Amino acid sequence: MYIHQHTCISAQETFENINLDIIHPPVGNKLVAKEPVYKGIPPGILRRMGKAVRMGAGAGLPIIENYRNINGIIIGTANGGMEDCIKFLNQIIDYEEGMLTPGNFVQSTPNAIAAQIGLMATNKGYNITHVHRGLSFENALLDAFMMLKTNPEASYLVGTVDEISAYNYNIDYLDGWYKSELHPGLSLYDTGSPGSIAGEGAAMFLVSSNRKNAIAQIRDIQTIHTTDHAVLKEMLREMLHKNALHTGDIDLLISGENGDIRLLPYYTEVTRIFNNTTAVVRYKHLSGEFPTSSAIATWLACGSSLPAHLFQSGYTGAAAKNIMIYNNYKGLQHSFILIGKSFGS
Amino acid sequence: MSRVVITGLGIISAIGDNVNQNREMLIQGVSGISSLQFCDTRYSGLRPCGEIKHTIPSLKEKLQATEPGVTRTSLLALHAFQEACGNAKLQLSDIASPDTALIGASTVGGMCLTDELYHDANTKEEGSPYLSSYDCASVNLYLQQRYGMKGIINTINTACSSSANAIMYGARLLQQGLAKRAIVGGADSLAKFTINGFNALHILSPEICTPFDQDRKGLNLGEGAAFLVLEREEEVKDKTVYAILSGYGNSNDAYHPSSLSDNGDGPQLSMQRALETADLSPLQISFINAHGTGTENNDLSESTAMIRLFGAPPPFVSSKANTGHTLGAAGAIEAVFSILNLYHQEIYPSLQFKTPIETTLLTPVQEYRPASLQHVMSNSFGFGGNCSSLIFSRLI
Repeated sequence: MYIHQHTCISAQETFENINLDIIHPPVGNKLVAKEPVYKGIPPGILRRMGKAVRMGAGAGLPIIENYRNINGIIIGTANGGMEDCIKFLNQIIDYEEGMLTPGNFVQSTPNAIAAQIGLMATNKGYNITHVHRGLSFENALLDAFMMLKTNPEASYLVGTVDEISAYNYNIDYLDGWYKSELHPGLSLYDTGSPGSIAGEGAAMFLVSSNRKNAIAQIRDIQTIHTTDHAVLKEMLREMLHKNALHTGDIDLLISGENGDIRLLPYYTEVTRIFNNTTAVVRYKHLSGEFPTSSAIATWLACGSSLPAHLFQSGYTGAAAKNIMIYNNYKGLQHSFILIGKSFGS
Repeated sequence: MSRVVITGLGIISAIGDNVNQNREMLIQGVSGISSLQFCDTRYSGLRPCGEIKHTIPSLKEKLQATEPGVTRTSLLALHAFQEACGNAKLQLSDIASPDTALIGASTVGGMCLTDELYHDANTKEEGSPYLSSYDCASVNLYLQQRYGMKGIINTINTACSSSANAIMYGARLLQQGLAKRAIVGGADSLAKFTINGFNALHILSPEICTPFDQDRKGLNLGEGAAFLVLEREEEVKDKTVYAILSGYGNSNDAYHPSSLSDNGDGPQLSMQRALETADLSPLQISFINAHGTGTENNDLSESTAMIRLFGAPPPFVSSKANTGHTLGAAGAIEAVFSILNLYHQEIYPSLQFKTPIETTLLTPVQEYRPASLQHVMSNSFGFGGNCSSLIFSRLI
């Protein structure tokens, strides 16, 4: 499966005028997305969109403009329009189930993002929404992978959206997934405390079986639910073996390390499997933590070169050929995404 | 490509706690729609629903589900999951195997806990035990954790067509060799959230719904869960095979965020694509379990699509007046009904119908009858124009 175009709306300068040397730090423990001026969306429609739908359509439509004949839209989102969802819920309680307006309800269903993109692009093809929390993106990728196996001539828009709403932030905060505060000057990775910082964003990809002029190849996707380090390491070894790769062949590991001391051992163990010929990049200090953040890592992997400041170790300035992305969501949901950048054309 | 067969069925709905009870009530034409007893809402007497008459504590006790943070949706899912796995004679080691996928759908997830969610989303006080139980994925993560499942796990939400897409995704995993068996289905429970949402859209009927009737007044919400065990034909050995999953189609209507087009483009396309993957012509379909929610919009759009595709459509019913519209569970529940149609070679009556829609003049089957059925289609259409159709075939 090959990626031909990629877009990203995040807390950093990742849309249109991409500049990863400018760093926007978190505000109040949140990395809120820098939303662009949404040129392609009529103002009347834009006003009615919740943020998740807006970011999804905003990131997806520029790709659809270039690829009008895509065969379907495959979206991963853990929560969809959470803000609209709780707005509607609050109306139910606050007005004691009085007469409510359905707008928030319709915008709150997670499939509203894929639906809205399909509607705006008049795309009657395959349309689906994966909502498996920290593996929503991975299941969307796997879906596209299977679609392309059966329809080699096809192309699909695959992508993700998740938003920080005041509400899901509150729920995850109460559940201990965010730090109470982040000391200025102290790196996210050096806090030694539980929890991370909240993030949000949308990343979209055009995928097909066509190798010619592709930006990157998704070679394999593996997921597992476990808390057992040994099972995890075994899965990574098997994956490398299956793809006829040695650990030394992976020249870049993009690690989802997120500053949560409880999850650090998983990242440390996975990093240890590789030797010092594998560079390590971390990105959650720029994206924040959210269930579909591995899509941001995939977007980064598609870029031509990553700035030195993203590297934890092994920066050489050379472009990576084989990239492994490892992500772990809340200690249970793990994924490895293998990306190739050198496949001839 | 190897054929995907169904070796296990599990269901809980307003008309019964298991497959046999559901079949018996379908044969007798019993409606499970009634006033709400357990779901706390001011609409309990005003908007009848397909409620499962078990309390949460009684479900927990029956299932020995003592884990903290378990929701009604997860309990219903577990109930149907256990029946399906038992029916397919899966051992615990089979369920936990890396070769076993779990693909479940839900649209409500833990949002049935409206008051707890309101508290946890809005206050800084100590959280409830349900902090990680609200999202749709929580249902399948509960099953994953309880059984230590190591295969591919996924949750799908395409509104009212969710579990039809879960069945489709599971079948594709098998066909591509990514799993040896897949436990696929969906679960949703009644919630103040969805009752108020659908009520705000003015599509809840004040009476038992009347699918495909000229004077239909809207839908009844319902709750339930159903799971199917899918296996590759060559691996089932001496197990009972209930049916073959021979075709599936997915499309988007691309017309409106919450209603279907009058000409039924999306429904027509999903049915067409299902026929293509099954390599069947429209004439070969013996029977359809329609989506048939009883709303003005759905029944007209679906009727139009059936006429466009079939000319004279085959015998069809809607089972929504039996169970209510169970949203994310509907596709799986109706898949079970379609498989029962095939396996027992019989048609269950569509309830509450009096007068055909003026412009389409289609009449559903209204009495129980034995029937020779070879290929049965099941339709599910949802908000956002998400349309899916499945075709089940008799093993011969």
